[in-house]
Amino acid sequence: MHHVVLERWSRGESFLHARDARVKVVVLLVYLVALATTTPMTPIAGACYAALVAAAIVAARLPLAGLALRAATVLPFAGTFALFSLLAGDESRALSLVSKSYLSAAAVLTLAGTTPLPKLVRGLESLGVPRFLTLVIQFLYRYLFVISEQAQHMRMAALARGGGRLRMTHAAGAAATLFGRSYARAEGIHGAMLARGFHGRMELLAEARLGPADVLFLLGGAGLATALRLAMGTLA
Amino acid sequence: MLPWDSVHIPDGFLSTPVWLALDVTGLPAVALLARRARRELEEARAPLLGVMGAFVFAAQMINFPVAAGTSAHLVGGALLAITLGPAAAAVVMTAILAVQAFVFQDGGILALGANVFNMGIAGVLAAWLPYHLWGAGRHRRTAIFAAGALSVVVSALLAVSELLASAVPVRPAALAFLLVVFGVSAAVEGVITVAVVRGIERLSPRIVHNATPERSWGLAVCGAGAVLLAAAGGLVASTNPDALQWLGGQLDILGRVTTLFAAPLAEYRARWLGSPWISKAAAGTAGALLVGLICIALGRAATRPRSA
Repeated sequence: MHHVVLERWSRGESFLHARDARVKVVVLLVYLVALATTTPMTPIAGACYAALVAAAIVAARLPLAGLALRAATVLPFAGTFALFSLLAGDESRALSLVSKSYLSAAAVLTLAGTTPLPKLVRGLESLGVPRFLTLVIQFLYRYLFVISEQAQHMRMAALARGGGRLRMTHAAGAAATLFGRSYARAEGIHGAMLARGFHGRMELLAEARLGPADVLFLLGGAGLATALRLAMGTLA
Repeated sequence: MLPWDSVHIPDGFLSTPVWLALDVTGLPAVALLARRARRELEEARAPLLGVMGAFVFAAQMINFPVAAGTSAHLVGGALLAITLGPAAAAVVMTAILAVQAFVFQDGGILALGANVFNMGIAGVLAAWLPYHLWGAGRHRRTAIFAAGALSVVVSALLAVSELLASAVPVRPAALAFLLVVFGVSAAVEGVITVAVVRGIERLSPRIVHNATPERSWGLAVCGAGAVLLAAAGGLVASTNPDALQWLGGQLDILGRVTTLFAAPLAEYRARWLGSPWISKAAAGTAGALLVGLICIALGRAATRPRSA
């Protein structure tokens, strides 16, 4: 499954893995804004932005080809609209749509591939995302695999009983059963967490601290992206 | 499988004024709804919402048969609104969209505000409107069907309007095709939502009745607003797509007007800060902030409990 690979990547060790999540999020945002506001998107600009992401991927010791392949999940959507643009005779728009969405996805993957989700979520929280929302995101991610596996089991069981192709009522029954089980599981989880002293916040073993390397990375990463944007602005 | 029962806009598609405005308005609105959801759901709050989000992910593995051998899956916005109430459903949808953006590259990060606005807020509130009005009466089934259909059609129409306002060229033929796809997806989601809600009522009747419709008049009114907005967007998009591009341009003009108000600051700007890109972005932020504050104020006024 997709997020299992990402999970393995995010537990790796590298300069990028060791950086504070907040710093990485800010650098990502600066990069994304720079990329999004670059108009027109020339091939040279695209190559420069791609080189920046590629450098980050190599520095993080992530598999370049594997990540490039995963980022391609945006291509069906982007490709369709690029096709519309081509049909309308706007080739530069088509190139811009595909390259911007692809490079953005690769950059986000680089962040997700170097930061375990709990740390990422904690980083978002200290950047101002409401705690209730980050808590829900953490529970969602924690039980994503559990509930998906349960759905898989139910599907197997239905197949074993000869229900190859479900009818509407059967499918609805399966969904309703899964809903009821998820609901009951949530109540159980909450009770167990309260019994263990849960007070509305996930604890990490170590609080994140900004080190000199983090500040350096922040200035370097955000600076590079900004410089690239300004350079492209004057070129255009 | 139908191609797009929900449109997750990736980064790079929306023009700066559009994504900025939606980030600045959408995300605080979710914060507001999160506070409301915390108040409404007494027991099992965050764990319940998180696990329900995981359920919506997992439920996509269940194939619902549609005519002629094709199948579809549950999108879930309306189901969540009916079972958890609209505020909590908006929080769950936002969490789902955030995980999809960060982990699955389904939808962009800068476009997260737009996607949250389309699916998490407008879609959920549009679903809440018919359920709130007719969910308890004789037409309960029709109301649930309308909830499912509206949630899909409203978020899809808003997404297309935003793309057109960002000057993404969509020719009339392509647009007509998209509108037909959305119509079919909406009907399918309506049917699936009815079937699943009936299933849940049979298996665990107590869950559906936890969400009491009386409390959320304000949100139902916001839902009506979302439906009207989407309908206007869809109407303009299908009859005169150039008008939406013009509207996108107007957003920029709004930015320029705010620059005038910020003129006293201009003298202190370094030369490179004076480049049109920076001042445009700053002005856009200022304008969007203003719109955001107005929306929050309106939202507060609309969602204040009457008994308070």
